[in-house]
Amino acid sequence: MAVQPIMSPIMALLVSAAIMPLIKILEDQLKFKRLKEIFITISLTLCLILLAILYRRIPEGGHLEAFLSGFGLPFGVQFYVDVFSVYMAMIFCGVGLLVAIFSYRYMEVDTGLDKYYGLLLTLIAGMVGVAFSGDLFNLYVFWELMCISSYSLVSFRKYRWEAVEAGFKYLIMSTLGSLIALYGISLIYGFFKTVNMHEIAVKLTLAQSRLEPSAMLSLYFAIGLIICGFAVTAALVPFHSWLPDAHPAAPASISAMLSGVVIKTGVYAMGRILFTVFSVVPLGVVVGVKPHPIPVVDFGFALTVLGVLTITVANLMVLKQRDLKRFLAYSSIVNMGYIASGLGIAAYLLYHYPGKSYGLAVTAAAGAILHILNHAVGKSLLFLSSGCIVHEAKTRDIEKISGIGRKMPWTGVSSSIGLFHLAGVPPLAGFWSKLLIIWGGLGYLQDPFLLTSTAIIIVNSVYAAGYYLWLMQRLMLGTTGSAAEKAHEAPISMVAPVVVLASICILLTVLLPWVIPMVERSVLALIGGG
Amino acid sequence: MGTVVLLVAIGLYCIIAKRELLKIVIGMEILTSAINLSFLVMGLGRSGVDALAQSMAVISMAIGACVAAVALVLVVNVFRHYGTTDVRKLRRLRW
Repeated sequence: MAVQPIMSPIMALLVSAAIMPLIKILEDQLKFKRLKEIFITISLTLCLILLAILYRRIPEGGHLEAFLSGFGLPFGVQFYVDVFSVYMAMIFCGVGLLVAIFSYRYMEVDTGLDKYYGLLLTLIAGMVGVAFSGDLFNLYVFWELMCISSYSLVSFRKYRWEAVEAGFKYLIMSTLGSLIALYGISLIYGFFKTVNMHEIAVKLTLAQSRLEPSAMLSLYFAIGLIICGFAVTAALVPFHSWLPDAHPAAPASISAMLSGVVIKTGVYAMGRILFTVFSVVPLGVVVGVKPHPIPVVDFGFALTVLGVLTITVANLMVLKQRDLKRFLAYSSIVNMGYIASGLGIAAYLLYHYPGKSYGLAVTAAAGAILHILNHAVGKSLLFLSSGCIVHEAKTRDIEKISGIGRKMPWTGVSSSIGLFHLAGVPPLAGFWSKLLIIWGGLGYLQDPFLLTSTAIIIVNSVYAAGYYLWLMQRLMLGTTGSAAEKAHEAPISMVAPVVVLASICILLTVLLPWVIPMVERSVLALIGGG
Repeated sequence: MGTVVLLVAIGLYCIIAKRELLKIVIGMEILTSAINLSFLVMGLGRSGVDALAQSMAVISMAIGACVAAVALVLVVNVFRHYGTTDVRKLRRLRW
């Protein structure tokens, strides 16, 4: 079976994961330390290059597709790649590469590192697979690959009670979520007799005028199951409670992975299924005009409500936290709320004001998708620098590490840049993504629902900026805490990824004129039309 | 279809209400089986069950086994740390 170019990134990652134990044996034989680390760096770099090649090959406004081992529609396992998939996959691999470099020194106290790197590779392979899936069941299979790897990685330090307990909690909640989503997928399969997303969209478009109320009811039920199922991994309130336990318990590199990219996969899967499958092209449009798709059901309302609820509840919880990683974990939940409500506002606009609101919906969705990138960069930066701080200070208590930024200048300055970035201080990219979401939400001032939710988002953004700056002030300017006195700068291979991520934060701002078109192409690939 | 709903209800009840970790894992397995059965029911046609539904159920079983394996490994580790598999004792993490 020839490997088609679309599958090459996933294959590269899976093959590297499979030969990782052999590399370990080779390393022991040759007495050559760091062979594993060099190998994982090479394979992730290779994967990034393959993704860049794939990005160049995608036609304007189009997609690439491939079927596993020659079975075509409707049975084949389809890989479907458009700009949005590659955009997400690049974020996954890029953060993965930096996390792997960070792990060189951070994980050296642990044993079984071949398993750690192997699981990291399968985790990234699962996420790239989710981004590349063209059918719902394939998506579920890669989803579980990702989830199983992340359960094992969260409880990797199994000699600590915290890791085991948090890992078990994460496993139960996340498996329950995936199974509920799978139940929704099975109902959709029963409805349409296929699991291919684009086939379902075509069938739904053909059937749109003939849908009976009972059929609509079961569609609503399936959509509800899918939203609830994926919302567990996306950590939307009220399904968020695994996250603040799992992130502090995991090694810092894995928290960066979880918070930076794994929870984004939940939003990706939700957005992809809802926008691709449950949007129909209205019948009877003028030939020659590319029609704008309209969602069949009002899932935008549900997403916006969940998103706004998430932002508010998590914001209130942040201030109670005195543990650095728990603080960052709750602020991840807040940011997932922004992304979900950005997508929700877009879907709401498309559903309630079809035809008129397309530009605004694109703006809100672009804000959400840009925020995925911003938060992935900013939050992995903060978690990696928290790893540096914990490595030096041996505690996560914010009181004790106050003022540590002066002892660790590179880490301190980088994490301040990250905090400014996420607080949305104007010139940085984190500001523009929130602005785009709010801009989309304020498009129809006469709509009370949109007005209220956007107002709540604005109030929360200001409030969130306050506590980010509070943390920045604590780390950089506060009186030196007990654990901060003896701290020194972390090893170079740990500081390097942090500094690289901080420069990406600044570069993103400078390169916004080049990033925005890519985001816009992703939005058009996601919601169609254009 | 009725059996599927019943099994889903039993599985959810086991996960939510039981205090024994192993019973929670069993509840997860019941839920997996219920959903596999749901795929088969949904694929039921005039000439037997659709091949696509059968293949999906088989793959889903394999995935369920992997998840159960990881879950049981964690249960063993919980037992090593706490000397019990009662979920009420696992309360050291704050909210």
